[in-house]
Amino acid sequence: MSFVRKAVLALALAPVLAVTCNAQQPENKGLTVLKAKCFQCHTDAMWRDHRQGARGWEATIYRMVGRGGLWTAEEIKLMADYLGTDFGPNVPRANVQAR
Amino acid sequence: MRDLVVKYLSKGVSRRKFVTSLTKAGLTMTAAQSVLSSVTSATLAQTGPAAPAAGAVAAATGPVKPFQGTGGAAFAEQLIASGVKYVFGNSASEDAEFYEALVDRPQLKYVLTPHEGPGAAMAAGYIKASGEPAIVMQAGSVGMMNAMGQIFNAHKEQTPLVVYSYRTDQSRRAGRDGFEEVLNQEQIVQPMTKYTWLARRADMIPETVRRAFKAAWTPPYGPAYISWHSDYNNDRVRTEIIPQDQVDPRMRVRPNPDDVQRAAKLLVEAKMPLMVVGDEVYKAKAANKAVKFAELLGMPVTQVRQVWANFPESHPLWVGNLAGASLASLPYPKGVDVVINVGNKFQHNGPGPIVPRGPMFIDMRIDHWSMGNVMLTEVPLVADVGYGLDDLIAAVEQLLTPALKLKITERTEDVMKFSTMAKTLRAQITNSPDWDQSPLITDRLTWEVAKFSDPDAIIVHEAGSVNLHSFDFNPLGGRELFFYYGAHLGSGVGTAAGVKLARPNQQVICLVGDGSFVFGPTALWNMARLQLPVITVVYNNHAYGGPHSRVINNVPGGRMVQTGQFVHDYLGNPDMDMAAIAKGFGVDGEVVQSPAQLREALARARKHTVEGKPYLIDAQIARKGVGWAENPWVPPIRVADMRTKKV
Repeated sequence: MSFVRKAVLALALAPVLAVTCNAQQPENKGLTVLKAKCFQCHTDAMWRDHRQGARGWEATIYRMVGRGGLWTAEEIKLMADYLGTDFGPNVPRANVQAR
Repeated sequence: MRDLVVKYLSKGVSRRKFVTSLTKAGLTMTAAQSVLSSVTSATLAQTGPAAPAAGAVAAATGPVKPFQGTGGAAFAEQLIASGVKYVFGNSASEDAEFYEALVDRPQLKYVLTPHEGPGAAMAAGYIKASGEPAIVMQAGSVGMMNAMGQIFNAHKEQTPLVVYSYRTDQSRRAGRDGFEEVLNQEQIVQPMTKYTWLARRADMIPETVRRAFKAAWTPPYGPAYISWHSDYNNDRVRTEIIPQDQVDPRMRVRPNPDDVQRAAKLLVEAKMPLMVVGDEVYKAKAANKAVKFAELLGMPVTQVRQVWANFPESHPLWVGNLAGASLASLPYPKGVDVVINVGNKFQHNGPGPIVPRGPMFIDMRIDHWSMGNVMLTEVPLVADVGYGLDDLIAAVEQLLTPALKLKITERTEDVMKFSTMAKTLRAQITNSPDWDQSPLITDRLTWEVAKFSDPDAIIVHEAGSVNLHSFDFNPLGGRELFFYYGAHLGSGVGTAAGVKLARPNQQVICLVGDGSFVFGPTALWNMARLQLPVITVVYNNHAYGGPHSRVINNVPGGRMVQTGQFVHDYLGNPDMDMAAIAKGFGVDGEVVQSPAQLREALARARKHTVEGKPYLIDAQIARKGVGWAENPWVPPIRVADMRTKKV
């Protein structure tokens, strides 16, 4: 991966990482799958303002299956659980710009 | 004056001299023109049919047919000679002599379309599905402008659509801001056509028509536009009618043999080659050759956005359509070192190249203009891809050794492992927790229609943000796809009508979004009138779903998301009833909410189409994604508050 692409990916992931990552803890497995298998097609700008529970996220990820996403059922569950926690219905929108 | 008339009739003076002499004798210009017109008409009426010129007599022994009559009749005669069976048009009084000519020429069938846009889409659909020429015509300027969206689509999709509209100005009154007159009318469409021309005389109408068809049908295909002053249709002319095959080379080009050898060498030596297919494969009827070529090399195959599916999606070497903006986004294969494109236009919507820097790139297509525009190209092969695949197959076969064959066998097994796994993972779509919900989710509707479709159904797809799955499209006698590459909305229903006209013995299903549908439903009336039994399925979420998501992608975290105020995307309140709209055009239909209702509706649709009648299903779809409220916000424009008079 080129430096530029790495930089672009890092920028794209920055909001996710800011919400979810703690340097002292191992990375959430759902986040690992998400980073590996979602961002080759789009950044998180498309969904990072969304808030819903794990079931809702599961449905969202299955919609991506219809768009060519290839994940096992286990990977889908891992991602949905992660998103349902860190982007759950009661999590404030950390990235919303104050104006 | 009598002497002057005799001189004119015996060609002793020109038309201009004749008129000038009359004005010098005291007649006004209008009166002089009137005398000229009367003398000319009387003379032609007396001479009777077909008094060919000397040159035409000599040619009459060959394919050239001398013609004498009105310009409108010459137009009709040349269309017949150019192989046209259908004329798609919207009413235009200045084409009266053309309509008059059709009365005694039943082999040229006029399909009246109630709006020029869907009419042009219908013509384009017919051309794409039949591979035969057709023309679309409409009133000068005002009608032409309605058709321009579909001319744009034909331009982007490289459809050989010939478009005609007269100029509303008369040749002797041009430039006076006349009714419907716009200056330089033909220049308006010029950037979207391969060829634009204005016939300079009435007797040049047939030549202009021939040239338009030649330009449109010379690869790479594209639309052509022709026009002439409306009075030319009324003028009496002596001219020639020539069969199209006498002037049209329909060229098919073989690739440079040296470059074929270079490409073959790169491919057999590649560790992981990848083939991208495109619409030139379909147009060249070369899908079987593409399959043979892929199998010969054990080469995975993908496709970037196109009109057709150009490779069987159930083939074990098929690795799926490209979902991202670069081949690097494919989940498989990785480590690609050689990419060969066979006939794909590569529509770039992002700054990066679809074929990333790194792999060597072989680009084979007849559309040479766009070669090298974005991607570095190791081997350019300008060719008809059918011939090109023949030559590449032969060249590769000569290079194959037992060791290479073994390597290819191993690679084939590797690709098959992936495609088998991918098929299993894609089938999981039915596990969505929303699968059984009502209103339907998009994927359930798509899946149900896929299960319902005949094995050789044609799917016309203009449901913008809907990704089709589960159809297993196959250009080799299986289900076919007609997508809308051009993206000017309102094409789907018209295209489906044209496709059904061309392929009456195949099931045709039109999948269309509610937004797209309301841009062009008038072709439903054509389906009813012509008894074109198309099943139209509207994905109706009462919204522009694609623009909704993309706007959020462009302004993440913005005020729209904070407030839920999206001014641009909600089409409800009141909801549109597409089944009611269909009924207004003479097409039966119904609204469905649930999977069970959908299945029953599809059964009714099949019954209708078996009986030769079209049917429409307005499928209610749930709005999904960021920022959708149960009852979306509507801009507060309340005219009721502004009214001071109850009128």
